[in-house]
Amino acid sequence: MNDSERLAIAAHLHVALRRKTGRVTDTEWMASDTAYGQAMARFALSHALANQDAELERLAQRFAASLPGAPAPAAPAPASDPAAPQGLVASAKRYVGGLR
Amino acid sequence: MQMVQMAAIDKADTAWLLVSTVLVLLMTLPGIALFYAGLVRRKNVVNTVVAVFAVAAVVSLTWFALGYSLAFSKSTAWLGGLDRAWFSSMRLDAAAGTVSVSHLAPHLPESLYALFQMAFAVITTTLIIGAVVERMRFSALLLFSALWSVLVYAPVAHWVWESDGWLNKLGALDFAGGAVVHVNAGVSALVCAAMLGRRQGYGRQAFEPHSLGWTAMGAALLLIGWFGFNAGSALSADGRAALAMLVTMVAAAAGALSWMLVEWWVRGAPTLLGVLSGLIGGLVAITPAAGFVQVGGAVAIGLMAGVACFWGATWLKRRLGVDDSLDVFGVHGVGGIAGSLLTALFADRAIAGVDATVLNQLVAVAAVAIFSAAGTAILLTVIRVVLPLRVTAQQEIDGLDISLHQESQN
Repeated sequence: MNDSERLAIAAHLHVALRRKTGRVTDTEWMASDTAYGQAMARFALSHALANQDAELERLAQRFAASLPGAPAPAAPAPASDPAAPQGLVASAKRYVGGLR
Repeated sequence: MQMVQMAAIDKADTAWLLVSTVLVLLMTLPGIALFYAGLVRRKNVVNTVVAVFAVAAVVSLTWFALGYSLAFSKSTAWLGGLDRAWFSSMRLDAAAGTVSVSHLAPHLPESLYALFQMAFAVITTTLIIGAVVERMRFSALLLFSALWSVLVYAPVAHWVWESDGWLNKLGALDFAGGAVVHVNAGVSALVCAAMLGRRQGYGRQAFEPHSLGWTAMGAALLLIGWFGFNAGSALSADGRAALAMLVTMVAAAAGALSWMLVEWWVRGAPTLLGVLSGLIGGLVAITPAAGFVQVGGAVAIGLMAGVACFWGATWLKRRLGVDDSLDVFGVHGVGGIAGSLLTALFADRAIAGVDATVLNQLVAVAAVAIFSAAGTAILLTVIRVVLPLRVTAQQEIDGLDISLHQESQN
């Protein structure tokens, strides 16, 4: 994958992270620095698993796979939350299938 | 065109209707905008707000061009004529001291009456947005809104509120738009949501609201604006308007309370969205009855509406299986149907001046629902021929803010 394509994927991930987590990332640094890029991919995967966010998970996996010479990083296990059955916090679970 | 001397215009009634018109417009901008934008996911906030503003602008112009004439001029029992198109009947002659009036409100300047009714057309059309957010193409929404406001809303308004409209002559009671606004918009919203299809991830992912605080502020503006919506429909600053305002507040409070208690019992906790939804449900249900019932009747209507709308937005929604994003049918459709039927049970002849029957109300609700559903389905089918109704899958994933407007809510 060339640098332009990796930068484009990084940009998508940047927008998604900002929107979903509030995390602001350095898009160009993400695309050029493998360590930073892997760290952001792990962060995104962790959030995606905790919130069952398929879109964010897909973006994180795509970006991780685009990093040069690096296997897709395994996401750390989401923090256990006794009030969060099936990986979703209780407040989020009520919004599956409807608002009310 | 009917011209009268300025002295024939009632200044107090005109002043009240001027205020009422502003209140009703406030319900849309920013009431509905905030209410809806608070409920969508963060990536679609800008799109939701701009949709409300843009549709309001579109309908303001279609009302000017055709809607007002088709709704509020005499022609047939089914549709008005074109003699008021482009607001051609509006005249003010300062030299002669005359001003044009509507046959429906000869004590008010027609420009004001038309503007008041325009505010109703605007909010009815913008209500539908709540069912299609997060996936409808912006251009398709604008085109649909323009056509719907003229071809669906205007005829229904004519049937119910024009003196020779067939439902009006039948004796159906609808003081401020239970059928014309809420059943009409609610049913149309359901059809739109069904024809658009479900959002990606619906039923699997949690679609968290962007800001319940925004939704609460929007609901507060809706409540305040509704005083103009209902009490303003008296077209007069008098005892009937005052009673309409009182029953509006009472029904809203009753609806908020009953939804909250039902949810508390069923789900184990009262929620902010539940209280707000019950408030809106109570307001919707009292809308057709506001000028016809006593306070006790308003309490009963509000209490029952809270329960009915909770059922509509939860159990019924799941049974229907349609992704009505913000529960427009569950709250406005179900609330409008319940309120229209309850109007017959609680209408007081001493206030209404006429007797209401459940049968007449049922005919009105059914006729509006069927016409709204059919008209909406036909319009979307036609529009679909020229442009897609939905955004692409990638645009939906990325969010409509960035995809359609190149803006984002931080």
